[in-house]
Amino acid sequence: MKRHIGSLAILVVLCMLLAACSGNTAGPTVEPTDEPIVTPPAELAAQSDEVVDADLTCTITLGNWPADTAPAAELALFEGYKATMAKQYPNVTLVPSYYSYTLSNYISAAKGGTAPSIFQPPFTDPQLLISQGLAGDVTDALAEFGVLEKFSPAFIELLGDENGRIYGLPREGYVLGMHININLFEEAGLMTEDGLPMYPTTLQELAEYGQIIKQKTGKAGLVFPASETYGGWLYTNIAWNFGAVGENALEVQQEDGRWVCNFTSDAAVAAMEYIKSLRWEYDILNADATTTDWAGAHSALGTGEAAMNFAADDSVDQPTAGKGLPVDKFALVPFPAGPAGAYALTGGTCYMFAPNLTRDQAVALMGYLKIIGKLPFLDDDIVAGMRADYAAKRERGAPVLPPITAWNDEAYNAKKLEIVNEYSNVDMRLYNDFFDSLTDGTISLKGEEPVFAQQLYRELTSIVQRVITREDADVYKGLEQAQQSFQEYLDDEINK
Amino acid sequence: MKRPARRRMPGKGKETLIAWLIMLPGIVLFAFFLWEPLLESMRMSLYHTKNVELLEFVGFDNFISVFNKADFIQALINTFSYTFWSLLIGFLLPIFIAFVIGETARSKGFFRTAAYLPNILPGLAVIILWTAFFSAEKSGVVNILLSKLGIAPKAYLSQAGYVIPIIVLVATWKGAGATALIYMASMAGINPELYEAAALDGAGIFKRVRHIMLPAIFKLGSTLLILQIISIFQIMYEPMVLTRGGPDNASLSLMLLMWRYAFGGSMDFGKASAVAVIITVILLAFTALYSVVNRRKTDWE
Repeated sequence: MKRHIGSLAILVVLCMLLAACSGNTAGPTVEPTDEPIVTPPAELAAQSDEVVDADLTCTITLGNWPADTAPAAELALFEGYKATMAKQYPNVTLVPSYYSYTLSNYISAAKGGTAPSIFQPPFTDPQLLISQGLAGDVTDALAEFGVLEKFSPAFIELLGDENGRIYGLPREGYVLGMHININLFEEAGLMTEDGLPMYPTTLQELAEYGQIIKQKTGKAGLVFPASETYGGWLYTNIAWNFGAVGENALEVQQEDGRWVCNFTSDAAVAAMEYIKSLRWEYDILNADATTTDWAGAHSALGTGEAAMNFAADDSVDQPTAGKGLPVDKFALVPFPAGPAGAYALTGGTCYMFAPNLTRDQAVALMGYLKIIGKLPFLDDDIVAGMRADYAAKRERGAPVLPPITAWNDEAYNAKKLEIVNEYSNVDMRLYNDFFDSLTDGTISLKGEEPVFAQQLYRELTSIVQRVITREDADVYKGLEQAQQSFQEYLDDEINK
Repeated sequence: MKRPARRRMPGKGKETLIAWLIMLPGIVLFAFFLWEPLLESMRMSLYHTKNVELLEFVGFDNFISVFNKADFIQALINTFSYTFWSLLIGFLLPIFIAFVIGETARSKGFFRTAAYLPNILPGLAVIILWTAFFSAEKSGVVNILLSKLGIAPKAYLSQAGYVIPIIVLVATWKGAGATALIYMASMAGINPELYEAAALDGAGIFKRVRHIMLPAIFKLGSTLLILQIISIFQIMYEPMVLTRGGPDNASLSLMLLMWRYAFGGSMDFGKASAVAVIITVILLAFTALYSVVNRRKTDWE
């Protein structure tokens, strides 16, 4: 008996060790489904069934695979992509994964070798992942597919390192503007004769219109996500419009190369005073601002708890398809101008890759990206993939809008626009001012603050929280504290 | 003088071996999942790191850097504040619950289960539930209830003065039932004859509690006290979900600060480990103090 117990103990230990040492698959993977729930979009029928590469043998794990709870149209679309992939690359095993990127879950997955082969980080993280050695180099595969030459310079900066290696693939650009819930504008009587929302074009108007909405509807004029780092992030765009640019910029590199921060300029202080006034003078903010995050802000707008939200063109599906606001009750307008300028934050969304990616996996992933219509060429597969994507978007009630393109290829961009117009499901009068402002010079586009933007946002978010929760908060003193703290951080990290 | 021959107990070596083998899975698990990461974290706190890789030995630089930050001081004060509120709200409550359920004549099982129920609910779901409860919007349950009393709605989770007591309240709501069960077990072990004798001597309920029940659970209570301090000192996911450490860092705990260093956008695992080591040192100090006090108390008894 004793011998048996001893043997059993050894066996258990061995089993546990084996279990701990094995396992090289990413995240929660999806059980293969035999039958798609809904028929894939008819557009996918145009994709080629011919084998592209029979010799390519590898396994790729695809993050951001739609969960079973996703709209049926989206699930069917991805099942369709998967079927095409199986025909064109018969020896590539495709492992769908529900993995959704967060910095905290990615670090352990990447270091443990279980990160999915492809995933979608937010635009704030590519440079961090590259500098930490946690991103897969796809330069050669991009060159092989002829994609590299079509990168716009902004994306090379976003997705590359100082040696010219590239670690990601652009999806689309975005520009920060403002989402509008037209129902609340109607209720507040803020409509033009043409039946369009009378939206604010300046920050002063934003405060005034927000006040009218609050008084007439009881709902927040503006939802302001001020938790974590969001408050500081939105503050920077407001500060630019108050004049915190050039020599008054929040971050400046001096001639000797030293980085200094400046949060106490008149412009920076005026911008924070403005946010404070939105709470204490105009009272237009949502009551839970300090605990509201990005998703919460979209939810507040989509469910009619707030009339306006600072957000970009890349997230229009969240309040609409995500929260049920009909597309004809939603508008996207330019970021309001301030007393010293009209800037709007611009950036890009992207795909990135696991750090241990092999050459074969990189090539297989390019094949996959081609099938889903994300490579900048005009072959039949890509066009069909794009069409299917927009068809599914329309089907699930998300606005189909012109993309802010990430590629330097006029023919491709024109074709994409043509397809968008074909599948359009919106009254473009609700969006034209936003898209026109990007080209007619009424808005100047500006990238994020150059160094350690996340820490900058965190420091400033604290002050945003302070001024909207304490009426007696001293704005200048708060900004001075944040400046001192962030300067110490810069001195520690970059000015050594 | 003739030395007695050393005699081996028959079968002792074999039994020892089997005992070790039985313990082996536990030892391996502890070593792999607890001791090794603990030591690694201590080592990491002395290094400049690139995510989890150690780059350069920097001595106590990480500690100095962490100590000099305003948010560390704030987090330290907040953590002690969490402890204070936790003891105020959460220490006596389980004893009270245990006592009341113990005195209940009928449906004792039901009340025991009811008290324990919050403990088996998934932690994050509970926090999200409470977020909705304290929401400042019209759907916030607290505001709906208070509005019936004519109290104007308030954004409770946005008020620096309210957030820590609210978070402690949430943690207590979830954890008090489990602690009450332990007290109940201890109270059930008290010889009923003591109560009967006291009742015959004319002792009322307060005297019986004061002179019989409290002395009987004193040792257990002091152990649970130190465990509660250790547990509340490591509070993280409640403020993380309820308030994200805000407003203006008013609910930032040391553990949440550690998380921010590691996963908040700078991937500074060296400094995150330094905060972890500081938390460990403070808790070791508490535990040592408890041991000393407990030993003196035992000696005195």
